[in-house]
Amino acid sequence: MKNRITRFLLTSLIGVALLCVCVFTFFAIHMGNQSAATINQVGTLYMSSMSQQTSVHFESIIGIQMNQLRALVGTIPSDIIHSDQGLQQQLMAQAKARDFAYLGFYGNDGSFEMLYGSQLTVTDPEPFLDSLRKDQQKVAIGTDAQGEKVVLLGMPSPHPSTPEHDCAALVAGLPVSYISSNLSLEENNERAYSFIIRRDGSFVIRSNDAYRNNYFERVRVLYDDVNGITADEYLEELEAAMVRGVDYSNEFTMGGERYHLYCTRLPYSEWYLITFLPYGSMDSIVTGFSHEWSSLTILSGTIILTALLLVFYKYYGLTRQQLQEVEEARQAAEAAQKEAEHANRAKSEFLSNMSHDIRTPMNAIVGMTAIAIANLKDPQQVHNCLKKITLSSKHLLGLINDVLDMSKIESGKMTLNMDQVSLREVMDGIVAICQPQVKAKRQQFDVFIHDISTENVLCDSVRLNQVLLNLLSNAIKFTPEGGEIHMALYEEPSPKGDNFVRIHIEVKDTGIGMSRDFQKHIFDSFAREDSARVYRTEGTGLGMAITKYIVVDAMGGTIEMDSEQGKGTRFCVTLDLEKAQVMEEDMILPSWNMLVVDDDRLLCETTVAALNSIGISADWTLDGESAVDMVIKRHNRGDDYQIILLDWKLPGMDGIATARSIRRELGDKVPILLISAYDWGEIEGKAKEAGITGFIAKPLFKSTLFNSLRQFTEPLQVGEKPPEKKGPDLRGRRVLVAEDNELNWEIASELLSAEGLELTWAENGQTCVEMFEQSPVGYFEAILMDIRMPIMGGYEATQVIRTLERPDRDLPIIAMTADAFAEDVKRSLDCGMNAHIAKPIDVQEVLRLLDKYLK
Amino acid sequence: MTLKECYAALNGDYEEAMGRLRSERLVQKFVLKFLDDGSFDLLCRSMEAGDQPEAFRAAHTIKGVCANMAFSALLESSSQLTELLRAGDMGDQAQELFQRVKADYAKTAQAIQAFREEAGG
Repeated sequence: MKNRITRFLLTSLIGVALLCVCVFTFFAIHMGNQSAATINQVGTLYMSSMSQQTSVHFESIIGIQMNQLRALVGTIPSDIIHSDQGLQQQLMAQAKARDFAYLGFYGNDGSFEMLYGSQLTVTDPEPFLDSLRKDQQKVAIGTDAQGEKVVLLGMPSPHPSTPEHDCAALVAGLPVSYISSNLSLEENNERAYSFIIRRDGSFVIRSNDAYRNNYFERVRVLYDDVNGITADEYLEELEAAMVRGVDYSNEFTMGGERYHLYCTRLPYSEWYLITFLPYGSMDSIVTGFSHEWSSLTILSGTIILTALLLVFYKYYGLTRQQLQEVEEARQAAEAAQKEAEHANRAKSEFLSNMSHDIRTPMNAIVGMTAIAIANLKDPQQVHNCLKKITLSSKHLLGLINDVLDMSKIESGKMTLNMDQVSLREVMDGIVAICQPQVKAKRQQFDVFIHDISTENVLCDSVRLNQVLLNLLSNAIKFTPEGGEIHMALYEEPSPKGDNFVRIHIEVKDTGIGMSRDFQKHIFDSFAREDSARVYRTEGTGLGMAITKYIVVDAMGGTIEMDSEQGKGTRFCVTLDLEKAQVMEEDMILPSWNMLVVDDDRLLCETTVAALNSIGISADWTLDGESAVDMVIKRHNRGDDYQIILLDWKLPGMDGIATARSIRRELGDKVPILLISAYDWGEIEGKAKEAGITGFIAKPLFKSTLFNSLRQFTEPLQVGEKPPEKKGPDLRGRRVLVAEDNELNWEIASELLSAEGLELTWAENGQTCVEMFEQSPVGYFEAILMDIRMPIMGGYEATQVIRTLERPDRDLPIIAMTADAFAEDVKRSLDCGMNAHIAKPIDVQEVLRLLDKYLK
Repeated sequence: MTLKECYAALNGDYEEAMGRLRSERLVQKFVLKFLDDGSFDLLCRSMEAGDQPEAFRAAHTIKGVCANMAFSALLESSSQLTELLRAGDMGDQAQELFQRVKADYAKTAQAIQAFREEAGG
């Protein structure tokens, strides 16, 4: 396509250029020819007029001389018979006065009778005599005694002395030079020159360089070419023209130069004037003009060619550009097609992977179910099968969730539910979820929180959790037992403005790492490194694709990755999150002195900074030994630390050993709190034993510290576990329970005692009333009353109690019964009960109501 | 036989019971105690004697215990019987329901018995 157009352009350019050259060459040649013809025409015109002029000039010169001669003849009287000396003398004197060089009578027989001057001979007497005899004036050429050429003027005249003497004319002679000088035949400044010949070609007056006597001979010898004909042919034409008495014009070349020739007959004579004009002079003018014309032609040709070239060049450029555009469009289309093909292939791969990945756990479920059915009698086997089925189901569920997420992502339907999120809660949650796995693999796990000033941000907590969980579970999954996993969270000002904060979350492990090749595909769907090392590791291969989508596409963050095979992997997620527009709780604690002990300097510093911000001054140190020293020093000064925070894992003396030492020195009064990312449960026993008061779970947010330390604002018994405040605090409240069924009583007792209530059992309404009557006033603070009881039911008992003469007779009585109809509830309330609870017993509801009525 | 299996055998809701009592130990304790509960005997005696108030109270108690223990099947039949007796009906329908309660109770007792034997053994 491109080549074809280029070829076409090139061909047409060359064609047009050639055409241009041809046309202009033709013009140039034509104009050259035209100019030659013009020269010829102009030459002919010029020559004819010049010849005419010369001829007229000749006629006038000869005419004057003839008139002079006629005047002489007029002086001869016609009656003179004999030679009269006086008359001859008179003629001679007059002739000499008229500058005639020769004078004589010419006889009919052709003899001269000279009056003065040497004897003359007429060169060609016949035509001369003929004319004279016919009484015509005539000019002829002759020679004198010395052989000099003389122009003879003949005027018919009688002989003065001897009339019988056959006299034809009076003849006067003039030197040839007279005529040639008067006709300016030689002194032609335009290089034109003329000469006079007779009809036989002999020169009458010849030019300087003509040494031959006959022009015709000269022509035969010298002329190279006469306008395409031979010299003889030319001469024939010339002679024919002479005979006919017409003018003749032609061109010829002589000695390499072109000449123009013009021949015309002269009057009074048998002479012909031949004039030559060398082309050179005229040619130079015309050639100059012709050259100018040629230059102009060439110039215009060049200009047109240049213009053409320019146009072609431009057009070529345009065409190329168009071609390029077409090419680009084609490439784009090709790329789009490739992409479509790729997407199609990816879809196929996805389906194939899907079917494989789904089928694998499905097969396990189906197979294990079959095995379980076949082994129903063997509980151990069935249990085993069910365990495997549970695992496979979980895996399948995870896979399906991921696939659903993926399809949401691919159809663009995954949207974020932005809500206020506490980064502390998110991190706490993640750490709690991951602890069992970390523990199972005995990995070193640590969480760092650096300088987080904005805990509450706007984000989709579910998705954020998903991202963190995915990164962390990958780290755990691909890190061998005993490896290290670090998670860090830090913030910096966001480039998006004051309302935003930039959060960096880093998850680092010392796991198996990834190959460079795989790192390129980690964010692809179903990307799992295909090697024996990960073969047994479960996973869907969709996690990172989803993670990337959530972080990068949905939340507008970035995700970076560093990995080296065998060394470990580091992921860093960066998000710009909007600060939640809530007033953070005013977190201020008493100005305690605290000590922070952790082997990580950064953690110490950030924790101290966080403590300072809630009004606590704190020291820090990096190991247990120096911590003990510092504590002792302060103790000796009588300025004890109020609270000590101890990391569990410390180099040398660990947290528990340190706590033990401190307790030995200080006794029990200073609270020592353990800080760790590990589960409190696994070390609680040992920690309590060593005298550790409590536990703060990493990550240490400001709010974490505040909430953990707040309890120490009120003096608390050292060593007692802080109560779990799930519901209202009703510890120590005495409640009378009327319940006829022992089993029900035991259930109620078990559940409510666990909440710290002190319960007393009355087997029926009667007993209940009696026990209440016998109790000190205000001893029982509430009664839980069954309705259907033997001897006395709940309704009656309530009515009796309400009518007792006691100040506490209107204590809260709550019906607790299997009857749950609206009329039952109504009747309970009608009997004076405060509330109604349906069985089965709901502890929280009971506590809520008790709390409500005990206030 | 596990406690869960025992629940399955007596058509109870193990999860509900666990949700309420929070520990397997407690559930097991009360399940075993259920056999010692006299309410069923009382119901049988009252039904035979035609003592409607006592029968109602006994059925009601069984209903309450079953609700606490999440013995779904027995809870269902005893609830129905309770409502009939509450209305004073001691006729054929009540007898019929009483037979169902008896069957459900027998099934429950049997499952617990089996569990007790295994747990005890």
